[in-house]
Amino acid sequence: MLGSVTKGERRGTRNLRIVFGWLLFFVTSSVAVAGMPPAGSFDNAACISCHEQQDSALVKAWQISAHAKDKPVANCISCHGNSHNRAASKARRDKTCINCHGGYKSPVVHSYAYSKHGLILRIEKNKWDWTQPLAHANYRTPGCAYCHMHAGGHNVSAMIRDPDLLKENGKQIKSIKDATRQVCQDCHAPRYISRLFDNGEKMLEIARMKVREARDLLLQAKKQYTAKELEPAEKRYQEMQSVYLKNVYLGIAHQSPDYQWWYGQPALDGDLLRIKGAINELGRIKNVNLSQQAQCAR
Amino acid sequence: MKTKKVRYIWIPIIVILIAVPAGFYYVNWSESGAGAGLYSRDWSPAAIFAYWDPDDFYKSVKTMTGVYKGKQCVSCHEAITPGIVKDWRKSRHSKAKKVVYCSDCHGHDHQNLHLPTPKICGGCHTTEHADFEGEKRFGFPSHALAMDRALDAKHFVDKPKAEVTACLQCHSVATKCDSCHTRHLFSVAEARRPEGCITCHSGPPHPDDETYFGSKHGQIYLAEGDSWDWSKPLRKGNYKVPTCAYCHMNRSKHQVAEKSIWKFGLKQVNPLTSGNEVKREKWVKLCSDCHKPDWARQQLTKMDTERKHAWKKLYAAESVLKDLRRKGQLFPSAKQRPPYPTDSEDAFFQIERIGFFEGQASAFYNISPIERDYFNMWYFDNLGAYKGAAHGDAVFVRKGHAAMDSDLENIRRNANVLRTLSEAEKKVGIKPKADAFWKHGEYTDYNREHN
Repeated sequence: MLGSVTKGERRGTRNLRIVFGWLLFFVTSSVAVAGMPPAGSFDNAACISCHEQQDSALVKAWQISAHAKDKPVANCISCHGNSHNRAASKARRDKTCINCHGGYKSPVVHSYAYSKHGLILRIEKNKWDWTQPLAHANYRTPGCAYCHMHAGGHNVSAMIRDPDLLKENGKQIKSIKDATRQVCQDCHAPRYISRLFDNGEKMLEIARMKVREARDLLLQAKKQYTAKELEPAEKRYQEMQSVYLKNVYLGIAHQSPDYQWWYGQPALDGDLLRIKGAINELGRIKNVNLSQQAQCAR
Repeated sequence: MKTKKVRYIWIPIIVILIAVPAGFYYVNWSESGAGAGLYSRDWSPAAIFAYWDPDDFYKSVKTMTGVYKGKQCVSCHEAITPGIVKDWRKSRHSKAKKVVYCSDCHGHDHQNLHLPTPKICGGCHTTEHADFEGEKRFGFPSHALAMDRALDAKHFVDKPKAEVTACLQCHSVATKCDSCHTRHLFSVAEARRPEGCITCHSGPPHPDDETYFGSKHGQIYLAEGDSWDWSKPLRKGNYKVPTCAYCHMNRSKHQVAEKSIWKFGLKQVNPLTSGNEVKREKWVKLCSDCHKPDWARQQLTKMDTERKHAWKKLYAAESVLKDLRRKGQLFPSAKQRPPYPTDSEDAFFQIERIGFFEGQASAFYNISPIERDYFNMWYFDNLGAYKGAAHGDAVFVRKGHAAMDSDLENIRRNANVLRTLSEAEKKVGIKPKADAFWKHGEYTDYNREHN
């Protein structure tokens, strides 16, 4: 009958399927063996010489990044280990980055670790499949590498600002924003991202205003008082710049409310008013001394 | 005589008849500004606030038109925002018998989308929402009233809005459920773990993270927590040690303020009022899931003792400050610096604010250094010691009290300087001169012009 299949015919197609299946297995596995990375251990030069031929853009991206330019250099082996065994999945995990970036308590790590991203990663990371590429929201929340090495991009500096946050380069900021936007959009709505960026920019500028206010105060004060007299105020100014301003930046970049606020803005307020207090106190002492001298002279 | 009395009764009646509607009218009027809350007429929101307090500030995006069904949302957004769809696919919403689609919470009409508020979630999760709303009866601080607390804080009203965005990010726990059950997985298990709480419950005024992780409970959690089954409800026998939620949201009751006695720790309370005794018995009952009731009672008493010591130190510092104020030795004085948040500069009566009841919680900038010293002692070191005592971290208690001791010493030393200086000035017959920079400077000016 048309459309019906006899038992013999069914057996025939099954045999055919088995043969075809085995054939497919041999073909794919031999291709896989040919394309497999070589076993054994390698030094950095060996990694570069081979990978330059395979993906020169990747090597170049690393070469222009802070990982290659700054000392100590973070080379292939620093993150991937010296063999091809789990080389990629190992490097994708936060632990790889944190060891060099100051440990869990350093502001750069802590600000991320306490964001919603960081805390969700902390409780879910062992259930995730780290062999997946760092793109297309393959991970529920981003770890360090998901953003800073998105889609395997090896220029970690692409999203990092100039360390001197008081000097800003408009062109650099635009390229940073464009790169970051691409990553955030894997999960977040474009309007949300834009507003977050704009707001962050304003928040950072407010922190800068506080630092600049302190700087101008000190510049004025230097005309009247010695460096030694101004030492405590100067120390506070340095703290504003190197700790709290940076904290605000990290809080915005890593979405940590603690760093935006508690370790940032009110801390800047505190230093600013103490600098004012210290300078004004010098003025009061000076005035008292002057009047005393005047009275004595009389 | 009798008729006179009857006539007089009309005076209070008329006053009440005028005052009550006038009061209502005034509150309505003050809440009708560009911002929100009691001071809404004094400030305008930043665009990002829409995402932290959707009810007050969110307006739908108008770039897309059309009315869509749930499946259509998914198929489009799978390409636009894959992370959202992936999360949703893993969630119970996507696996329910009657699937909960995007449109069920966000609306169908792309010209009129909304962000889900507790009310929308409460449409299905009725018990949780009713509990959550019910928390309001405990007053501040609580999750349910957190947004009101932020919007009505004077420093929030006064500061440029971009600066205080982080406030709303945490205080949005009142206005959206994904603070704890993060979108779009909305996991119950996630919220049961301390990691669900500590993005906000951390930092100097509430080191709930450090003090819990420093306690025996927390140490055991850190060592073993990853291997526990977090799908189990928060009740006796299910967890080896308690987590934040086990104690503060026991049996999943969405009322963290239910048992709080010392609350935020910003003011001294009498822990032995009848109301607080009832709360204490609730704690004892909870601790008895694992411990002997007497032992639990002892621990709670220990905490009261710690608080008593802390307040002795705080009052000592306050009295130093108040003594300076009485003698006019606080410098710069209230008149020599920018006005307090929401105050006007030419206000008739200006006085330095010291302690909780005078509103010092909003005054941590534009004040004199010694007042800020006290703020740090009170708001950071004191609260750290409190959380150490509450969560069972003895090291944190010790550190907090050591810090308070040195704060107090520091305040006394600085008070001496102020006293000596002002006495010396008096002797030579000059007045303390406040420099112009107290009232003017790049940020100081910007702050006053931008609410």
